[in-house]
Amino acid sequence: MKKTLTLLAFIAGCLLPGTVLAQDAIANDALYKAFGEKPGIALLMDDFVNRLIVDPRIGHMFKKTKPANLKEQLTDQVCLASGGPCKYEGNPMKAGHADLGITKADFNALVEVLQVSMDARGIPFRAQNQLLALLAPMHRDIITK
Amino acid sequence: MDIYLTPMKQKILNSAIAASLALAAGVAKADTGKLLLTGGVSTIEGAAGGGLTPWAVIGSNATDGELGASVHLTRAGTQDYALTGYGVAVGLYNRAEMSLARQDFDASPATALNGIAAFGVTPGQHIRMDVLGLKVRVAGDAVLNSDSLMPQVAVGLQYKTVDPGSIGSVLKFLGASTYGTDFYVSATKLFLAPGILVNATLRSTSANQNGLLGFGSKAPGRGSRGWQPEFSLAWLLSKNLAIGTEYRFKPNNLEALGASSGLGDALREDDWRDIFIAWAPNKNASLTVAWVDLGRVIPGITGGRKQTGWYLSGQFAF
Repeated sequence: MKKTLTLLAFIAGCLLPGTVLAQDAIANDALYKAFGEKPGIALLMDDFVNRLIVDPRIGHMFKKTKPANLKEQLTDQVCLASGGPCKYEGNPMKAGHADLGITKADFNALVEVLQVSMDARGIPFRAQNQLLALLAPMHRDIITK
Repeated sequence: MDIYLTPMKQKILNSAIAASLALAAGVAKADTGKLLLTGGVSTIEGAAGGGLTPWAVIGSNATDGELGASVHLTRAGTQDYALTGYGVAVGLYNRAEMSLARQDFDASPATALNGIAAFGVTPGQHIRMDVLGLKVRVAGDAVLNSDSLMPQVAVGLQYKTVDPGSIGSVLKFLGASTYGTDFYVSATKLFLAPGILVNATLRSTSANQNGLLGFGSKAPGRGSRGWQPEFSLAWLLSKNLAIGTEYRFKPNNLEALGASSGLGDALREDDWRDIFIAWAPNKNASLTVAWVDLGRVIPGITGGRKQTGWYLSGQFAF
């Protein structure tokens, strides 16, 4: 009996985040607003790219990239992902990363730099994770090695 | 499985631990790339996971294509017992994990067993156990597949040998073996948006109190292995701070044997649970503090008390 009760409690515990996951997936612009809409996202991406290109682990990967273009494309992408009224007109993710030999460690390093930037911009931890949850599945197109 | 493995010699384990530490030192300078706390902390049995339950994550900071290692030191104390543990885990390419852990269990109350029969248990007796662990990730990514409910899944085994010292006569009387192997499958999922980690593990084991009181029992106790579920639930409060709880079902192999000898529930074994806080001040270090409830542990010699107390574990990972 005790076993059954604990199992039930645990299953309830598992379903809870599932519900939260579903709620997060509902398209609305709450996250877009939490990031300060397009001007806030542009400031965040400015800070992010500035840190990225000097990062000792992955900075060298952006040598051939024009920082201004990257900032613009990332701003559109995050704006769109967070539920904002933007269009992404950059390269498709898969084609754009195919030849770069990016590892999971590189991808995680980029996530860490983004976390540092979001901290610097004072974005709450929960909003940070909501954005990361939207962006993380891109690892399938980005990690090639 | 057990019948094919002879009990491993202390010396072999010692040199294996020394070799692993050397490897850990060797990779310490490498720049490995797991996200903070996503390698779990060290369980008392050495595998990466929560404190009491292994997770499907591969220990150390190493992710795909990398080698890493972690070392841990753990101390736990309850009303009547205390446990010191230390060990090392090596992570291979985020695919496989090898771990070695040694536990030193202060079983001082066991001298009371001399009142039941002439067991010759010496005062201040400690029970030592070594755990050799192997874990392989078979599917999934617990962290990055945030658009899917698919967890990370791993299978593992833990080969345990116990040196009970003068308590050996008691284990012999109980018909409990001094070595055994646990097999388990774990599924771990981080719900990234809400920051909630869920783990479920199913373990096939015949261990009494995790193996510290041997494996199995003679009739009418239970001598065979059985499946035991284990659960962990953790909530990330910030990048480097998590709180959580665990529940580990355990076999109760010995109680029936005790009851048939007129000892009532003296040999009863209960489930384990804990509530923990894990803090990672940087990528290489984590500290876990927990309140543990181990239930009754040979209540016949501890006045029937439940064993609750604190748990402190430090880990360095590379």
